[in-house]
Amino acid sequence: MTETTVTEPIVVEEQETRPRYAGQNVPRKEDKRLVQGEGVFFDDVKRHNMGYVHFVRSPYAHAKIRSVDVSKALEHPGVIGTLTGDEVALLTDPFFQISSPPGAHLKDFCLGVGKARFVGEPVAAVVANTRETARDAAELVEVDYEPLPAVTDARRALDDDAQILHDDAGTNLTWEGLYEWGDLDAAFAEADRVVKISELHFHRFNSTPLECNGALVEYNRGTGQWTLITNNQFPGFAAIMMGPAMRVGLDKLRFVTQDIGGGFGNKITSHPQLVACCLLARKLNRPVQWTEWRTDFHLSMSHGNERWFEDTEVAVKEDGTLLGFRTTALDDAGAWLRYEPLGGVIWAQVTPGMYRWRHIRLDFKQVVTNKAPVSPNRGYSRMQHLWFTERIIDIVAHELGLDPVEVRKRNYIRTDEMPYETPNGCVYDSGDYAKLLDTALELIGYDELDSRRADAESRGKLLGLGIGSTLDSGTNNFGQSRLINPELQFSGNNEVATVKLDIFGEIVVTLGTTPQGQSHETTAAQVVADILGCSIDDVNVRAGHDSYWNSHAGFSGTYASQFAVTGLGAVKGATDMLAEQMKKLACVVLGCSPEDIELAEGQARMKENPEAALPFMALGAIINANNAGLPEDLDVTLNCRYVYRPPFQPPDVERKYGNLTLTYAAQVHVAVVEVDPETGVYEIVDYAAVDDCGVRINPQVVEGQVMGATAQALGAATHETYTYDEDGNLLTPNFYDYHVPHALDMPPLKTGSVESASPFTSMGTKGMGEGGGAGIHAVCAALQDALRPRGNPIVFDSCNPYHSVWELLSDPESSRQRVTVESR
Amino acid sequence: MDVVTSQTIGVEVNGTTYEREVEARRLLIHLLRDDLDLTGSHIGCDTGNCGACSVILDRTLVKSCMVLAIQADGASIETVEGLAGEEQLTPLQQAFSDHHALQCGYCTPGMLMSATALLRENPKPSDEEIAKAIQGNICRCTGYWNIFEAIKAASE
Amino acid sequence: MLLSEVAYARPATLEQALGVLAEHPGARALAGGQTLVNVMKARAASPDVLVDLSGIPELKGIELGSDGTLELGPMTTYTELIGSSEARARPILGEVCAQIADVQVRNRGTIGGNVCASDPTNHLPPVMVAVGAEFRVSGTGGERTVPAEEFFLGVYMTAAGPGELLTKITIPPGRSDGFASVPIGVDGTCIVNAAASLNGGVRVVLGCVGATPVAVEPASADAEAVRDAVRDADLDPPSDVHASADYRRHLAEVVAARAVERAGKGS
Ligand SMILES: Cc1cc2nc3c(=O)[nH]c(=O)nc-3n(C[C@H](O)[C@H](O)[C@H](O)COP(=O)(O)OP(=O)(O)OC[C@H]3O[C@@H](n4cnc5c(N)ncnc54)[C@H](O)[C@@H]3O)c2cc1C
Repeated sequence: MTETTVTEPIVVEEQETRPRYAGQNVPRKEDKRLVQGEGVFFDDVKRHNMGYVHFVRSPYAHAKIRSVDVSKALEHPGVIGTLTGDEVALLTDPFFQISSPPGAHLKDFCLGVGKARFVGEPVAAVVANTRETARDAAELVEVDYEPLPAVTDARRALDDDAQILHDDAGTNLTWEGLYEWGDLDAAFAEADRVVKISELHFHRFNSTPLECNGALVEYNRGTGQWTLITNNQFPGFAAIMMGPAMRVGLDKLRFVTQDIGGGFGNKITSHPQLVACCLLARKLNRPVQWTEWRTDFHLSMSHGNERWFEDTEVAVKEDGTLLGFRTTALDDAGAWLRYEPLGGVIWAQVTPGMYRWRHIRLDFKQVVTNKAPVSPNRGYSRMQHLWFTERIIDIVAHELGLDPVEVRKRNYIRTDEMPYETPNGCVYDSGDYAKLLDTALELIGYDELDSRRADAESRGKLLGLGIGSTLDSGTNNFGQSRLINPELQFSGNNEVATVKLDIFGEIVVTLGTTPQGQSHETTAAQVVADILGCSIDDVNVRAGHDSYWNSHAGFSGTYASQFAVTGLGAVKGATDMLAEQMKKLACVVLGCSPEDIELAEGQARMKENPEAALPFMALGAIINANNAGLPEDLDVTLNCRYVYRPPFQPPDVERKYGNLTLTYAAQVHVAVVEVDPETGVYEIVDYAAVDDCGVRINPQVVEGQVMGATAQALGAATHETYTYDEDGNLLTPNFYDYHVPHALDMPPLKTGSVESASPFTSMGTKGMGEGGGAGIHAVCAALQDALRPRGNPIVFDSCNPYHSVWELLSDPESSRQRVTVESR
Repeated sequence: MDVVTSQTIGVEVNGTTYEREVEARRLLIHLLRDDLDLTGSHIGCDTGNCGACSVILDRTLVKSCMVLAIQADGASIETVEGLAGEEQLTPLQQAFSDHHALQCGYCTPGMLMSATALLRENPKPSDEEIAKAIQGNICRCTGYWNIFEAIKAASE
Repeated sequence: MLLSEVAYARPATLEQALGVLAEHPGARALAGGQTLVNVMKARAASPDVLVDLSGIPELKGIELGSDGTLELGPMTTYTELIGSSEARARPILGEVCAQIADVQVRNRGTIGGNVCASDPTNHLPPVMVAVGAEFRVSGTGGERTVPAEEFFLGVYMTAAGPGELLTKITIPPGRSDGFASVPIGVDGTCIVNAAASLNGGVRVVLGCVGATPVAVEPASADAEAVRDAVRDADLDPPSDVHASADYRRHLAEVVAARAVERAGKGS
């Protein structure tokens, strides 16, 4: 069902003779175990005598907790113990808050203490000898709640009569920041038209990895150390949240994982539950296992940021030249700031989107509501903002009677302007946006659009085409957190890899990352094998993550589109070091200088005399087991650790200015939809996704990410939504009501690629994988295009299930009231 | 007639016979994963939607979270662990790898069981039949496109 | 996941099954389990005893009478029905069953369970009412026949009361049937569905618009007549995350007309 156009792999350096793995679709190392069911996911691991954790969850969106009585639960046969909020408040400190005040004042514990703030919030935990018994006993825990009014609409959270969630903060407005760059007054003075959009809404959803969260946690009483076999995808972050809260050093927390069943950012903020498990393992002196079920996940874990764009004004010239915009972004964080308010700055990595406007003002307000806490979700915070900028393009184009393709092309940052400094100091490294669009339009058969429209019409359908684009900015400069809170002492980024040559010549690689399907074992091996001149089969990349491997730094993990830069950068760095050492050792043994040595075919050999060669095994044996007589000053360990550190400066906090990410992969997606005007039901009948992530180490892996991100976008655009009722009950707590795409829902897909190498990374790669947001907008734009003959309704929401489309069809005017155009 | 709250049952899984005492309420997936340590079959939801737990029960593809373990007494069960021979992947497993039809690999065991059941009944399925056959298996990584390709390739 | 404690019996005869149900007032039949197990996972209901009907031969099987009447054992799975040549005597049955959920659910789920679940979004209740099915309900005290339109009493409630079982579904002969729906995604849960039958009159039965199927009898098979009849039925459908009541009312008209149109074509 797919047509693939894959551009040629990277050019082999001229003097190279041996085949290179980089750029090739080498088969994945991970697959053999995974297709046989031999992967090891956290829930596959068992320990003698382990207990099962079941959380008691609040049935109320907002309630005081008067008391928690666990006595009946403790009497239940098979129960091992319990944990309550009162205990937690004694045993731990609140989690560190990223926010400046008032968000800084939140007191966030691993269980609800004194209050419950969303339906599904854990307020107590029970451990029993079977999963079923743990649940039975959890039902016996008696919690005395005093229900309070719930805040469920971010736009009402700041009303005078809105219930305050966190008395410690004293307001529901937990973070606010005004961003302004350029000269807005001048831009609006220069404009021929001002397009005003009263409200756009980016909805709440997430990527619903198929495996939910969980952990098996063991406590070692002798050393005071915990081992957490867990699928948390950012252990570096979890550790710095958990250690201080638990009043222990970070090295007391060992994070171990092999296989993770998808993450997409949604497995970053499991630290509260992990703390609860640690406390239980210590208290009960037993390994404990927590398995989060699907309903638990939907109720309580990592929703994506819901955002409203209010009172947007766009300054535009008659010909569609965009000058600037101003808007207020109102972000709904849910009940807790578990990674927030970082979403309040992450969007600024892509402030102008793909466009050349220079005058931008965005007033960001984040409020807390009685819903599940938000945290990163594939495309985190940029997706919301890019959807907004793309929405502006189509609304402006349609209202001014211009062609959305032309408006895009007129305003795209041009390839000859790269590297391009955005109004807020980010540096887009490379890219050719017009080419991406042309490629996508060609794949979709844009030339035949008119005849396809006519054909659809003859079948009673409305056909529309829409474009969406995203910039998948990768490799964060964590200094951006200072724009949120100047007190924070974070900046830059890092990732670690170790590569060693072992005694029998094995090449062993460890990574600091926590892959969840991104094929790190394979792509890392490609890089290593190329540098060492050996077969990829000889490179053993350890599966998974272990924070005791010494390949772990503060920002280790797998998140935010960075492996191809940070992870592979670390792998390359460590392997270059190892290669250097291998050459050094070989020249000592062979009696020549390092320049005379090359690594090829699993040997270190003399370039001029390939007969004079040492197999890797000999090198490994000499250093590890046969080293008498080596020169004293020979600094060779054959065990190399490299910390990749991207070249960043801390941003200017005053001006909110600086480079926030290192690379900018780009995507343009085009969707064609057919709408049944009678029902609002629509089908995506054709789809093209074109991606540019610079040099691709493994094109098939890259394309896999493009496809997966696309599918998630289509789900989000059509049916996936975390919708709450007025009382704060989640209406989509499972896969019945939260409809993710199934096989029959998928449109035919055409993929293409453009390759603009990044000038800023060691291999020309760019981080990628989060570019799906393009698809959300492509569907919105296609719907707006399709519905134009029916009164020009404005698509104002990122999620458009059938009933929304029907509402646009039956009452286009009410959507149109959101938009006005002023001529100057 | 007697009713039981637990019972010793016998099942044959991938050719090996097991006897276990199970509570009547225990789901088949938990028997497989927790009691028999056959952890290849996974759990991705709690409503029978996702298909990660799909196994072949007496030659019929089922979601093992929608069957009680006690109902499987006397049954013969095939799970992902039983597909490959000692060293040899099945053509379908190989095709999944060749076509990059898996990323995180969590849905893969269930997906393979659905595809295996399909190809047994219908060795040359159409595109539509392939999509229908895996409609009950959710994958959040791949968008299914490469899975179609893999199943198609294995069917040729 | 994680059900409450429950007892289990797998009777070999109908008599045994009815005996267990009579003995344990909190007992419930377990057919394919594709609804009941979910209900128990959510602990929305926790029966004391599950009476597994899968070992009772007399509840299985499909028979086609010489006059075209179909007798369906309630424990017939969707897959068995789809594959049955006898069942093709009333083609709509197989066509609709093939749209229910997915292979795995169709392999376990039963037509008896589908109607006894009386879930307003299920596919078969409106179909059964449209084709004029009759349900045999048996208890220790004897058996009776209930026409489909009287069988569905409410959400998860049917004329097969406590201690009783549905033991046979009889489908009269006929061919001109049609089904239409608006599901959430292809083959997903229905937002609204409708089954129509034109066997001597026009009969359209709507699902998802009330606790039980709603039958309307338009004056003719003309689309406008059908829509008028649906409008006149004063539907009071639920509002939820997938559809407002207004949208459901609107869809009801559309799918009713489409079901009738398909029925007209399905000779
Ligand atoms: C993922 C998923 C998606 C689904 N989607 C759909 C869909 O789109 N459309 C649809 O129609 N269905 C759908 N279903 C439900 C499915 O069709 C069920 O099979 C059906 O609703 C119940 O049939 P069962 O045989 O599984 O019955 P069970 O779940 O075993 O029983 C259902 C109820 O009926 C009672 N019962 C069963 N048999 C008898 C009998 N003979 N006499 C008296 N009472 C009896 C039981 O006690 C129970 O209360 C879906 C199910 C799943 C898991």
